[in-house]
Amino acid sequence: MGDLFRIDVVYSTQHWIFPTIIISILVILGLVILVTEGMGRVKAGKGFFTKPGRFFAENYDKVKLWGCVVLMVAYFFLLDKIGFTVCSIIFVFLFNTLFAGPARMKDVRYHVVSVIISVVSVLIISILFGTVFDITLPDGVCTIWIQSLGITIF
Amino acid sequence: MPFAIGPEYIAVALLGVVIGIIFGAIPGMTATMAVAVFLPLTYAYSMEMALYLLLGLYVGGISGGLVPAILISIPGTPSSVCTTFDGHPMALRGESERALKIGVTASFFGGLISLAVLALFTPILAGWAIKFSAVEKFLIILFALTVIAALSKGQMLRGIWIGLLGVLIAMMNQFSVNNAYRMVPDGLKTYMQGGFQLFPVLIGLFAMAEMFEQCETGMHAKYSKDDSAGIGENVKFRFSDFKGQVINVFRSSLIGTFMGILPGVGGSAASLIAYSQAKSWSKHPELLGTGVPEGLIASESSNNGLTGGALVPLLSLGIPGDSTTAVLIGAFMLQGVQVGPLFITNNPEVWNTILVALLICNVLMFLVMFFPVKLLAKVILIPQERLYPVVLMMCSVGAYATLNGRMFDVWCLLLFGVVGYLLKKLHFPVSCFLIGFILGRDLENYFIQAITAYNGHLTGFFVRPMGWVIWALIIIFVAYAILDNRKSKKRNRTAAMKGE
Repeated sequence: MGDLFRIDVVYSTQHWIFPTIIISILVILGLVILVTEGMGRVKAGKGFFTKPGRFFAENYDKVKLWGCVVLMVAYFFLLDKIGFTVCSIIFVFLFNTLFAGPARMKDVRYHVVSVIISVVSVLIISILFGTVFDITLPDGVCTIWIQSLGITIF
Repeated sequence: MPFAIGPEYIAVALLGVVIGIIFGAIPGMTATMAVAVFLPLTYAYSMEMALYLLLGLYVGGISGGLVPAILISIPGTPSSVCTTFDGHPMALRGESERALKIGVTASFFGGLISLAVLALFTPILAGWAIKFSAVEKFLIILFALTVIAALSKGQMLRGIWIGLLGVLIAMMNQFSVNNAYRMVPDGLKTYMQGGFQLFPVLIGLFAMAEMFEQCETGMHAKYSKDDSAGIGENVKFRFSDFKGQVINVFRSSLIGTFMGILPGVGGSAASLIAYSQAKSWSKHPELLGTGVPEGLIASESSNNGLTGGALVPLLSLGIPGDSTTAVLIGAFMLQGVQVGPLFITNNPEVWNTILVALLICNVLMFLVMFFPVKLLAKVILIPQERLYPVVLMMCSVGAYATLNGRMFDVWCLLLFGVVGYLLKKLHFPVSCFLIGFILGRDLENYFIQAITAYNGHLTGFFVRPMGWVIWALIIIFVAYAILDNRKSKKRNRTAAMKGE
């Protein structure tokens, strides 16, 4: 009886004690959730497993959602190849364009504002963090190192 | 009582409050996001300076939510849900300026009352916590996880499950005692020595996931220029609006504060409870919801009461009271300050600074919001499509700088953004996952320490009287959750039937 409530703490394997416990609970609890929710559906007159409902919202904005994911991947991929400042200016502008929607795509003023926002916001962050606070930002081919002043513009 | 104060600190606090209010006032952006996005800025600050900025963002972020709640009936932050009930009807009657000013004043009182509770309560709780052994520390975290699950309305099991998944994800690292890796793919061992970093996980779950969701629905503006243009002045605000509301202010603020002390309870729960209490104690409950100051005061003083409350468990036990204070833990870690039972004894100056900073931030919040009320109403017009690109850029900087420049952490932003988005789609409470992730490593360490101390016997968890108290609390909360779970399920069912 006493041994049932005892766990051997062995140095070489103790990193697996807690994960094992958690995984076991997750599996058991997961089954309980499946069964109780399934039973609830049966009670409500539906099948134990129902066809999953619509995943995306009705008429979801495919361009914005997938465009956002693609742009993010491209942005992160290029960040430490191009360098923070130049890469971010390009991508903040691209995100602004993506989010514009078809109605404003031809509006020149919208895009002018996008350019201003991307250049100003990125320069503020880049100078404030990278140059003034000396925090490392992703560097790439467009990173400028001014040796005489000891300044790096990432 | 030494503490840090000076014009530079006040300037930083003002900056924090203003930015916080803007974040809070824009639907879809929250106080948590404000604090998280500006966290990297504090890398270069001293601890005190960082506190002024972050607390300013916190107070401002929670308060800003009342603006869109009143003007367009969309809560800017989840904690101002109940503000819409009475605030918006007032605005429709042309009393929006009065409503905004009542809301701001109520928020201010709520903040002050919770500050008093914070100052009195934290040392007492820390005094108890000092006597905790690994067993009690383990149980306290278990308690925290139970409370969050208990409060995920109608889906307790899912709450617990996703919380434990968070714990599991937190353990994907090199275990500190025997330096062995677990659950880490071979190729990622160089990056995942310390597991996933808090900042990218948090920002991913909250900001990136929110961005994906906004993209999905097309990022449409939820309001037009008219909403803020016609700010009405039919009835002027007078401080006598608060006459007869003193008890309401105190009750609601204290409800907010104590809900904040319970780990993981969001502001929406606090303001809902305060609102329903105000309704049941009111002399004319039928008027609540039609646009009376009483309901507005209850909602706003309770959600600002949360700010002080959520800091109590953070500073005395090292457990965050809500998602915003979870980010604050990150700030303390970055500065090398250990929060927990010994925090006040070891860092009296930082502790005093927190109290002073919180007071100053509340005063600033009041000044910034009360007088330029008309300007404030324009904040809701800042379009999301302009903000999200900049927020993404700032988040990448923050993630990259978390561990001195690694792209791995930036990619985690995307990873956890997708995770957060999926969790929401599958109706799992995201905050449970986050709290599990934050507390997971401590939970494991204390568990291993406890069973090592008791030579592997699990009975060790039941032998100390102090542990019994925590066990009792856990049982009470589970029982409450089961009852409440049944009730809200029944409510959902009747609502569904009525709908049919």
